[in-house]
Amino acid sequence: MNLKILKFTLNGEPIEITVSPDDMLVDVLRDKLELTGTKKGCGKGECGACTVIINGEAVNSCLVPAMKTMGANVETIEGIGSPEKFHPVQEAFMDLGAIQCGFCTPGMIMSAKALLDKTTSPTSKEIKRSLSGNICRCTGYVKIEEAVQAAAEKMREKQ
Amino acid sequence: MKEYKVIGQSVRRLDAVEKATGTAGFTSDMKLPGMLYGKVLRSPHPHARIVGIDTSEAEKLPGVKAVATYKNTPRELFNTSATMTFTVPPMLPVLDQYIFDNVVRYVGDEVAAVAATSEKIAEAALGLIKVEYELLPAVYDPKEALTPGAPVIHESEKKNIPGEIIQIPYGDVDKGFTESDIIIEKEFKLPVQKQAQMETQAAVAQVGLDGKITVWSTTQTPHPTKMILSKVFSIPESKIRVLNPPYIGGGFGVRIGCSAKAEPIAVALSMLAKKPVKVVYSRKEDFIASDTRHGGYVSVKLGAKKDGAFHAMYLKATLNGGAYCSFSVETPGVLGCMGLAVYRVPNQLYYGHSVYTNTTPAGAMRGFGNPQAMYAIESVVDMMAEKLGMDPLKLRLKNIMQVGDPWVLPYRCGSTGLAECIEKGAKSIGWENRGKLNKPGARKLRGIGMGVGTHVSNAWPFCGDYDNAYITVQQDGSVHLASGVPDMGTGTSTSLPQLVAEVVGVGLDQVSMTFADTASTPFDIGSHASRTLYAAGTAVVEAARDVRKQVLEYAADLFKVAPERLVLQDGVISAASQDAGAVGDNCSGAPVCKIGGVEKKSITLKELAYDAHLRNKQFIGVGRIVPDNAPPWHAHFAEVEVDTELCQVRVLKVAAVHDVGKAIHPVICEGQIEGGVLQGIGYALSEEIKYDEKGRQLENSFHKYMLLTADDVPEIEAMLVESNDPTGPFGAKGVGECGLVPTAPAIVNAIYDATGIRFYEIPVTEEKIFKALKEHVK
Repeated sequence: MNLKILKFTLNGEPIEITVSPDDMLVDVLRDKLELTGTKKGCGKGECGACTVIINGEAVNSCLVPAMKTMGANVETIEGIGSPEKFHPVQEAFMDLGAIQCGFCTPGMIMSAKALLDKTTSPTSKEIKRSLSGNICRCTGYVKIEEAVQAAAEKMREKQ
Repeated sequence: MKEYKVIGQSVRRLDAVEKATGTAGFTSDMKLPGMLYGKVLRSPHPHARIVGIDTSEAEKLPGVKAVATYKNTPRELFNTSATMTFTVPPMLPVLDQYIFDNVVRYVGDEVAAVAATSEKIAEAALGLIKVEYELLPAVYDPKEALTPGAPVIHESEKKNIPGEIIQIPYGDVDKGFTESDIIIEKEFKLPVQKQAQMETQAAVAQVGLDGKITVWSTTQTPHPTKMILSKVFSIPESKIRVLNPPYIGGGFGVRIGCSAKAEPIAVALSMLAKKPVKVVYSRKEDFIASDTRHGGYVSVKLGAKKDGAFHAMYLKATLNGGAYCSFSVETPGVLGCMGLAVYRVPNQLYYGHSVYTNTTPAGAMRGFGNPQAMYAIESVVDMMAEKLGMDPLKLRLKNIMQVGDPWVLPYRCGSTGLAECIEKGAKSIGWENRGKLNKPGARKLRGIGMGVGTHVSNAWPFCGDYDNAYITVQQDGSVHLASGVPDMGTGTSTSLPQLVAEVVGVGLDQVSMTFADTASTPFDIGSHASRTLYAAGTAVVEAARDVRKQVLEYAADLFKVAPERLVLQDGVISAASQDAGAVGDNCSGAPVCKIGGVEKKSITLKELAYDAHLRNKQFIGVGRIVPDNAPPWHAHFAEVEVDTELCQVRVLKVAAVHDVGKAIHPVICEGQIEGGVLQGIGYALSEEIKYDEKGRQLENSFHKYMLLTADDVPEIEAMLVESNDPTGPFGAKGVGECGLVPTAPAIVNAIYDATGIRFYEIPVTEEKIFKALKEHVK
């Protein structure tokens, strides 16, 4: 198949990379760019482990042909915070017991960030809705929802 | 009560930063130089003989480096389960699996595997393998598989029964029923549930040209997995290293032993290709070709006296073991033991076993037989209460096991907080409102139900169970723990260091842990049976005490006092203050320590460790233990709402109260309970793998298998009770599995309370409610 040049912004940096038209974004991120923080739990858009943010929207990167991100702004877990300055969602996940095995965590954090980027006063229902595409088999979601609430509160304080 | 510095604190987990930033290592993330990708060809038939297999076209495909079948891989029988390959006498091991065989026994069974330079090429090569099958008759239901004309799936002593039949007699059950005033007998049908852990089964194998093998995998039990691989490939265990890298995306029992067959397949391909090979199961493979929970049938016959005292119980289980044994002997064993251990019943009998069928092998899943037992028992206990005209809560309180009571288990009931669990849960759910929640003629009916139970804190005496740990004080006084257990999300890489910090007397920031690696940790049986904190923790505490003793003995020489007079706290060693106080001179008479030519009243562990280093000494503490066992207890209360038009059940609240002995990290305990509750709701209401007439799994993806999402979560109130078991580290008991166990019975009992309909089969789906409501109206 003809290889194509893909240009997009990844975690604030311009990226230029050769991909095949049938490459999915999740595989380009994980295999070609070696950003393995984005997880692959099903490859069919059913578990949300591969959630990234494209132009402000949380999407399953296993359902997105990489070429579709031409010119787009893509954020992955690697780009949103680090020990020097964690994102409030990361901070809350770490402090409130929202992390167990950690496999769903990056996708879950990205879904939560996409929500809180839009509103820092989400209702419980909005939080549940926006996380309902992300499966977690460990936590029962209780502490995850608490963490998103706590992160929202922190972000409101900063505003 | 003793004040603790580190345990009992819900500190930030030590794996939190890596997991929150996406840098935590998982097997499926691994990449090695020259690494190939392995894919598996699976049987489309439930039962067939391979009469011809031609791999020549696949081998010719550019990029294909190896094709493995039964013809070029070891013909060594084994069992993927950690316990069964090396079971403890008098139990005989049931070894019924090859890596590849010339007979396939379920849809998904391994036929061949390819290693190629990319996943796409490997996948394409699978399509080029030509297999000729001779179809054999198949059977899917365990009762049918026991009938005279049923196909034989493996040659075994008793037709289609893997291993032995478990029989647990206690008292005189016949006499017990004769003496009972009321007897209730019912059979229950149980679904095949799937662990559905987030990371699928995976392994990366690197076979060196020197014959040494390294396997990174998703196993919950690196050391036993090393033993299995050693047996399969006839290579000394010392030359095999099995490790997690270091995390696993969940377990719930699905990889106690091998990760399905990911490890042996990756090793076999790596041996043939002489390159590292990575095998990651697709989600579909994980669903169809990786152990499930045992479905099947459980029946309960319960006899009681008029005053409500239970007098006799006969529990019987016929479980669907699927195509290979896996844990099909131990699971009915634990089912019986747990079922018989909750209530004081003087006359009991258990009879149970698994049955081979042409379905996905059933193995270990959270609860391990206990959820199957307790759904049935707790339903019958509620029925008994109704017949006696008693409050089901009071009936339970009257009959539950007490400390020191004789029971069927070969260890002591050394603690129970069950009565307190029941009391707290009842208060939280508003038990007194039971029966008063509905207006006549309402479309939506509410109800409240409860379920209780116990579990184990490790696998002894159901299989061999022992633990080792060692602790080294580094040259700067920081402390390193090595333990062979994994951290599959349950927080062991935080809670075990908490034990070390507490016992040694240093801050948690000074402790680090190496885990889940057979090359750098001593043998440990691994994470299962709710055992890690309790059993591995006991070895860790022993190692910590040992190293602390060595440190204080060394310091005693410097202080010129007996070691007993010294304390080590917050990383500082000094003479006990009460001794100094006793001489009444404001500590001026306290012993001093001379180090580096300077006299000091106290020294840090850092100074001491470096002083020891200068004198050619390191402190190494060792813990080698065979754990006792201890019963965790739990009571769950559920409130449900049944929509009689839509035939849907909505769980409104679950109050989950658990006697954990002692919570070393309360938030981790709560997290275990909350996650278990959700899996229990799924078990009760939605989760099931069914088979069509051709033996194909109807639920083979997340989409089809109805897992609960964040949108479905009811109010869950997780509460902890601390009964301080005399055998556990600081009184702790197991907690991991219990959250699932009493959830389904609490919900089914609540549905009965709401509708007056009792369900003898779970999951209670819309379809079942629709049918039952129709019947009920008649």
